[in-house]
Amino acid sequence: MLAIIQSSSLLGVEGRCVRAEVHVGNGLPSFTMVGLPDASCREARDRVRSALLSSAYEWPMRRLTINLAPSAFPKLGTSLDLAMAVGVLAATGEVSEESTDGWAFLGELGLDGSLRPVRGVVPLVAALRGVVRGVVVADAAHAEAALVPGIEIRCAPDLGRVVRALRRETPWSDPPAVPAPSPPVSPDLLDVRGQPVGRQVVEIAAAGGHHLLLSGPPGAGKTLLAGRLPGLLPDLDDEAALEVTSIHSAAGMPVDGQLIRRPPFRAPHHTASAVSLIGGGTTAMRPGEISLAHRGVLFADELGEFPPTVLDALRQPIEEGRVRVSRARGTVAYPARFQFVAATNPCPCGPAPTGCRCSEAGLARYARRLSGPLLDRLDLRLHVGRPDAGDLLGSPDGEPSAVVARRVLDARQLAATRGFGPNATLTGHDLDTIAPLVPAAARLLEDLVRRGTLTARGVQRVRRVARTIADLADHDGALRVDHVAAAVALRVPSGSGVAVAS
Amino acid sequence: MTSPAPMVALLGLPKLGPARLRALVETFGSAEAAWDAVRRGALGGVPLRTRLDARTALVDAWRTAAAAVDVEAILSGHMEAGIEVLTPDSDHWPPAFRDDPEPPPLVFVRGDVSLLASVSVAIVGTRRCTASGTAIARDLGEGVASAGVGVVSGLALGIDGAAHRGALRAGGPVVGVVATGLDVVYPRRHRDLWNDVAHDGVLVSEAPLGTAAERWRFPARNRLIAALSRLLVVVESGRTGGSMLSVDSALERQVDVGAVPGPVRAPTSAGPNQLLADGCLVVRDATDVLVALGVHVPTGRARRSSDEPPPLTDDAVTNAVAWTPTSLDDIVASTGMSFTEVAVRLTTLEVDGVVDRVADGYQRTIR
Repeated sequence: MLAIIQSSSLLGVEGRCVRAEVHVGNGLPSFTMVGLPDASCREARDRVRSALLSSAYEWPMRRLTINLAPSAFPKLGTSLDLAMAVGVLAATGEVSEESTDGWAFLGELGLDGSLRPVRGVVPLVAALRGVVRGVVVADAAHAEAALVPGIEIRCAPDLGRVVRALRRETPWSDPPAVPAPSPPVSPDLLDVRGQPVGRQVVEIAAAGGHHLLLSGPPGAGKTLLAGRLPGLLPDLDDEAALEVTSIHSAAGMPVDGQLIRRPPFRAPHHTASAVSLIGGGTTAMRPGEISLAHRGVLFADELGEFPPTVLDALRQPIEEGRVRVSRARGTVAYPARFQFVAATNPCPCGPAPTGCRCSEAGLARYARRLSGPLLDRLDLRLHVGRPDAGDLLGSPDGEPSAVVARRVLDARQLAATRGFGPNATLTGHDLDTIAPLVPAAARLLEDLVRRGTLTARGVQRVRRVARTIADLADHDGALRVDHVAAAVALRVPSGSGVAVAS
Repeated sequence: MTSPAPMVALLGLPKLGPARLRALVETFGSAEAAWDAVRRGALGGVPLRTRLDARTALVDAWRTAAAAVDVEAILSGHMEAGIEVLTPDSDHWPPAFRDDPEPPPLVFVRGDVSLLASVSVAIVGTRRCTASGTAIARDLGEGVASAGVGVVSGLALGIDGAAHRGALRAGGPVVGVVATGLDVVYPRRHRDLWNDVAHDGVLVSEAPLGTAAERWRFPARNRLIAALSRLLVVVESGRTGGSMLSVDSALERQVDVGAVPGPVRAPTSAGPNQLLADGCLVVRDATDVLVALGVHVPTGRARRSSDEPPPLTDDAVTNAVAWTPTSLDDIVASTGMSFTEVAVRLTTLEVDGVVDRVADGYQRTIR
């Protein structure tokens, strides 16, 4: 007697379809599970057996084999429990084969037969789209599962209810009511006083998706400015929202019954390990902070305090928009297309209000760490000074985020009409096509290169930023001198702010 | 003439500064007797300026260190390393040390010893200096040295090193006074400069071979810089710090003090500006120094062609950019212009060589 039940299992942040093939045959009573289950998945044999017995079904005293197909990739976690239990019941004839046809089953079983939600319901359900008609999940997972369009969702509180519903003795349970989530509050640009250029650079970063470095003494408002960036970004479209929600679901973060529509903002502390930032881990291959920031903003405060190994590890994802994590148990790729915003002090001590107290060697080390190839990838680099006390108290309010966000959206739409990605991803070839320079602007760049204050790579970055500045001014044609000059001014030379002459 | 060997051995002891050395030599009458007492650990009655418990540890440390020293070989060791040991009896003993209030017992020298007797100017300042400061120190060093006047400094990062570089460029007399043994390059980043000064000028130290950098050695070194010069010029310094201690040493020795004026709010110019307010000599360029020394200046105030002032610019943006880094926000705020207008003007000024784009904003170009 053979039963085949559909389910799915999580690999990285993606769901993979898995078929639980349950065979009950003659022979001495035994229970074998094959198909690369990991520890928590193998433990399912005990949970499934107890859940069946607690729900007053019989455990077959025969030779029982479960194969998790396709057998080639490892199955992690407990999402297959329910499918195995239903498979056993189908193989012993407790439920009919037709009733499970076209359905997939997702969930962890308790020893008492209760059905529990699992990590990553969104990607798990998304993987089953087009494979089955609908998915059965735990009551508590219904809201999350229902975020995936184009697939039916049924739910039940326990195994008994699943079986009775399959036999059409009782209906499926009603999905629990989801409290309406409060709208996310994003800090507003209104709070930023003074700093006319600081506001502008955040707006440009938002409009072009450019990576941004803010340097300056403590209290200059670097963190304040960086925190305002997500509020200026447009809502995520359906596809992006599902991607982001899937990743957050796979990371086991609460997804309160709605797709994540706002670009995420992640600010890992500088003591975070490389694994927590990049992803991986020994037991479950979890996505790291950079994947949680996918389609949003990754903010590294105190960039100079991050260990060099961690900074190096950030380079590849910044370039490729995804990160490949290889571990003994397999290789997974996580999406990680984030906008990188970094803030740094001019020196390790701050500088302290009484003046810098760092040693020369410390300063040189700090400058070395900050002037590496990572900084080269940041299009926008601005030094922010401490604002004047007068500005803080007396100056009129600046524009609120809503107004700026409107301009950002218009600029992004203008850029989108050209058929390329956000301006930050434009290559040299793209730039020649869509960011030509008026002769005076070209001459200006040539002069700067000749003077040695701008490198060839710098010219490319300047052109990208200039394109965004022009877009924000609703100017679609060749880049003018003012666009280029503004982009040049927003690119301070890399390196620490304190000069250590040698 | 007695051998300087015991004195060299004494100077090699840990934590032994001028005061303790004097105490030892005065108590025992000669360096030889003092060395003998140190070896035996019999230092009862010597005022070592320390707490009782620390004193025992110090005496023990000295005895252990002394046991490892071969006094007979010590001089030949220095000779092999190409280092000359000057004593007050030597022909080359700098005349300036003869009536110094706190003369070194002897000095170690590598390079052209005769330079120690030449008329010299000390050019000193903070290690944490601005780009403008290094440029000024370099030009001062070059200008002073090309008039044949010696340049004395401490080979430190920042102002000191820049002054040495300028003097070397002019091929003039250059004296580096260091706080470590002459085989211990400090700071290590100045290895090349160190060798150049030893090759084209002279290196002086109060410490024997193998002496590492210790904090207290630097103020002691600064007094030698002051002693060896006729005029001490502070280019950039905070209100306190090593350079200001050098000024105190100079005043103690009736050595004139000059200072380079700087922006009144720049922390790097707080020291020199204070000195100027107190009435010391104003130093704008090498000519000011040479005039103060009464040295004949054949070229007058003529400037090198590269010193041509930048094209005259008098507009709001240029005026908003200081000689020290000014942030974009400040420039925009003080001109009242839009960011784009300011950016266009700044980039034009950058191309014209009037301002520089630096890590923390913009600053006026220093030539």
